[in-house]
Amino acid sequence: MREGITTMVRPITMPKLGQSEEVGTLVRWRKKVGETVAKGDILFEIETDKALLEVESFSEGTLLKTIVQEGTTVPINTTVGFVGDPGEAVPEIVAQTCRFDSAHGPERQPKGSSRPAALAPTPEARKPELPGVSRETPRPPAPSPTRGHVGAVRPSTLLRAVSGSRTGEPPLHPTPGVMAAPAVFRISPRAAKLARESAINPAPIVGTGPLGRIVERDVKNYLESKGYYQLRITPAAKRLAARENIDILSLLHDPRPPQRITLARVERAITEKPRPMSRIRQVIASRLTESFTTTPHFFVTVAVDMTELVSFRAELKAQGASYTVTDFILKAVAMSLVEFPVVNSTTDGKTIRWHSKVHLGMAVNLEQGLVVPVIRNAEELSLAELHDCASELIAKARAGRLTPDEMGGSTFTISNMGMLDIENFTAIINPGESAILAVSSALKQPAVKDGQIVVRDIMKMTLSSDHRIIDGATAARFANAIKQKLEEISLWKRLT
Amino acid sequence: METFDVVVIGAGPGGYPAAIRAAQLGASVALVEREHLGGACLNWGCIPSKALIHTSSLYAQMRSSANLGLKIESANFDYAAMAERKDQVVRGLRNGVKQLLAANGVKVFEGTASFESRKRIVVNSKSENTVIGAEKTILATGATSSVPAFLPRHERVVESRAFLDLKSAPRSVLVLGGGVIGCEFACMLAQLGVQVTIVEILEDIVAFLDADVRRELRRQMEKTLGIHILTGTSLENISADEHAVRGTAGGEALEADLLLAALGRKPVTQELQLENTGLKTNQQGFIEVDEYGTTQVSTIYAIGDVTGGPQFAHAATSQGLVAAENACTRRRRKNEKLIPYCIFTSPEVGEVGLSEQQAQQKGVEVKTGKFNFGALGKAQAIGHPSGFVKWVADAQTDQLLGAQVVGAHATELIAEAITAIRAELTTTELAQTIHCHPTLAEAWMEAADVLLGEPIHTIAKKKGLGARV
Repeated sequence: MREGITTMVRPITMPKLGQSEEVGTLVRWRKKVGETVAKGDILFEIETDKALLEVESFSEGTLLKTIVQEGTTVPINTTVGFVGDPGEAVPEIVAQTCRFDSAHGPERQPKGSSRPAALAPTPEARKPELPGVSRETPRPPAPSPTRGHVGAVRPSTLLRAVSGSRTGEPPLHPTPGVMAAPAVFRISPRAAKLARESAINPAPIVGTGPLGRIVERDVKNYLESKGYYQLRITPAAKRLAARENIDILSLLHDPRPPQRITLARVERAITEKPRPMSRIRQVIASRLTESFTTTPHFFVTVAVDMTELVSFRAELKAQGASYTVTDFILKAVAMSLVEFPVVNSTTDGKTIRWHSKVHLGMAVNLEQGLVVPVIRNAEELSLAELHDCASELIAKARAGRLTPDEMGGSTFTISNMGMLDIENFTAIINPGESAILAVSSALKQPAVKDGQIVVRDIMKMTLSSDHRIIDGATAARFANAIKQKLEEISLWKRLT
Repeated sequence: METFDVVVIGAGPGGYPAAIRAAQLGASVALVEREHLGGACLNWGCIPSKALIHTSSLYAQMRSSANLGLKIESANFDYAAMAERKDQVVRGLRNGVKQLLAANGVKVFEGTASFESRKRIVVNSKSENTVIGAEKTILATGATSSVPAFLPRHERVVESRAFLDLKSAPRSVLVLGGGVIGCEFACMLAQLGVQVTIVEILEDIVAFLDADVRRELRRQMEKTLGIHILTGTSLENISADEHAVRGTAGGEALEADLLLAALGRKPVTQELQLENTGLKTNQQGFIEVDEYGTTQVSTIYAIGDVTGGPQFAHAATSQGLVAAENACTRRRRKNEKLIPYCIFTSPEVGEVGLSEQQAQQKGVEVKTGKFNFGALGKAQAIGHPSGFVKWVADAQTDQLLGAQVVGAHATELIAEAITAIRAELTTTELAQTIHCHPTLAEAWMEAADVLLGEPIHTIAKKKGLGARV
């Protein structure tokens, strides 16, 4: 029993799902307060840097209280809710969340707010208003005396979710159609009401009240100067704009100013409104940008004649041994990486680290983004073992059940778009690796074989290499080593 | 060969306004019509039926005028005279259209048009064949009612056009089809004292109406007019001889002087020889158009009943103007989406926008406000206290999305709601708009108050907490 809890009420905490995970975002409660919870029932869904996961209940009873709201990010082990018998008293606890953004210096409290940051943060407050403002890896809240303590959290240690624009940093560029609250913003309630009812963003208004406070007169003058009173806005359009925080004045920037602002114009602005990307998407964006801008990529492409392997695979299948083309590629790559340890290495530009093991990452496309499950010690696995391992990981990825540890630590990655009818493509190296193999579709093409033009299944593969440690010739030899293996049917006859 | 910028085929309520608008925009325009200017609406539809309905409605009011303090010893009607007045009205309006076309410089060709190619049209009249060139063509050939094949060919079996040519009223009528046309004629005849039975295969008459409106309409047609309405059943064993038409519906033997078939209208495309343009009609025989009125052939537009949209004259007119503008200018305008409709039954009906049921089907969260005419001073004063108006508004934004009215003058009253909805007004704005007193139109304001939860002339269902915003 945890400290501070003496009843049968049991806290539910944010689980730690991987070595590198310090925080998790509670995306959705799957149980409602008052609902019965059985062991193994899914309580809520969380999103980490890498995946969406379902969290099962370890205890049974009734969900008495939820503390962490949907869409909130909290450190691991934070109490997110309580399970117990109906009617039991729940310890007083306030929601805590994690700051993503320590880069902008200490958080500024809104003027006049003496409340401890115990406000339940709204999902809006968490979402960064500009993609990329929040850091790729959320920093752990430091110091973290809250870990392991439930019901005894001191307000001073709580952290509030903050978004870029609230920390005093102005938006980099104005986002049309969207109102962003400025850093220190003084506005009288009457002025704010007028701005709200007029569906305009009061931020650009210069206040003439005490301390530059915007008063009603300023809003009226501003509306006058912008020609607001000449606008013909349909009542329904104004109501919708006010509700959806669309600044009516931002709709005038069209090349052809509208005769009348109708619902259709506001609806268009709503669809154009920037929305925050999911955590996963933001992490992908930041990692890919980091890799492509800091690693000098270069590319070599080879065309592999897959005709014989394709028919050999069909033969195996007829005998009841089902392998995918990916399985053969995994095996060929694992074998080649042992021959070319430099490709299975990492550099920071100053040092180079050769990995003794081959941990193969496989890029798997999901609706919400790309995940890369990792086959550990791939060089030790037989073709059949690779097949089992790969299909298990892919199934888990599709079901959203990969744990973060199954998605990290790869030393080389394969991105296979073979099923997507692709002639050729290049991939971006995963940070921490020195090469990635982009596998395209095996397409029926005219090819020269024994001096004759014949139809063959040609599959192109492009290797992206970190040119700091992999020379052109090495990359070429490595790519050809894979090609030769795939084309050498006697090898596969030995391995299957 | 004379060539025109725009050739309009069909001079109905869609075609002749299209021709006039195209001429106003500076185009040389030809209008081809094989029968009468004004089309079905003016000659065999809206106008003549309204002329008859006006008389029948007055007659019915006279017969029930004792409670208004009138003493009419013997009210009677002369159907032949009614029909003659109707024909006069039609002739007058037809002549008006002719003059409008002439004043706008539209050249009218009498005859049946057919395509030789996309830009060559033959006008086939009794005396000669004329070939004209067309840069752009607007098809406005409309639709026609016919007696379906399963009905016996007999003078006692008529469709709406032949019915309007009658010179005397039958004593009893079997109306097959409880749609708009069937119900309008049924009410007109019942007001004249004719025994009317409606047989409708669907579950209710005028099934596309708002459910509340339909209930009120049916109640009054049955109770006040004494119309026998059979729904959810078909008319079978139909026969006609010199004495009567007979049939059975729902196990009931029916007999009447006349059978009026009001079973929908078919698009008119047969003589056009569309195959010479590459244009194809859809499975139902309609010519499909995009939201700009353009067919699959970019120089050919189509409007009105032949396109398979809602079959209303006012919809055709609007589409005709849009097509003419799109054909003659660089600006492209979309067809109006908000198509109101009114029905000249007794009581009258007007509807526009979403009904409560349609909103539910679309998953739009709405609030409704209904106000009965009975609570209105004017309605009591003029002796028409039945019926109601109803608003449907978006629960989130308060925007007016639909309106229904059933009762006296409903077809005129709906106009305010159409304007309000197209102008994207909110319920609050409508409720704050001053309406003249005492008028029937006040009901709209009162219904808006009901929707907002703060009505003056009726008791609010939920007290306090008005939704006015």
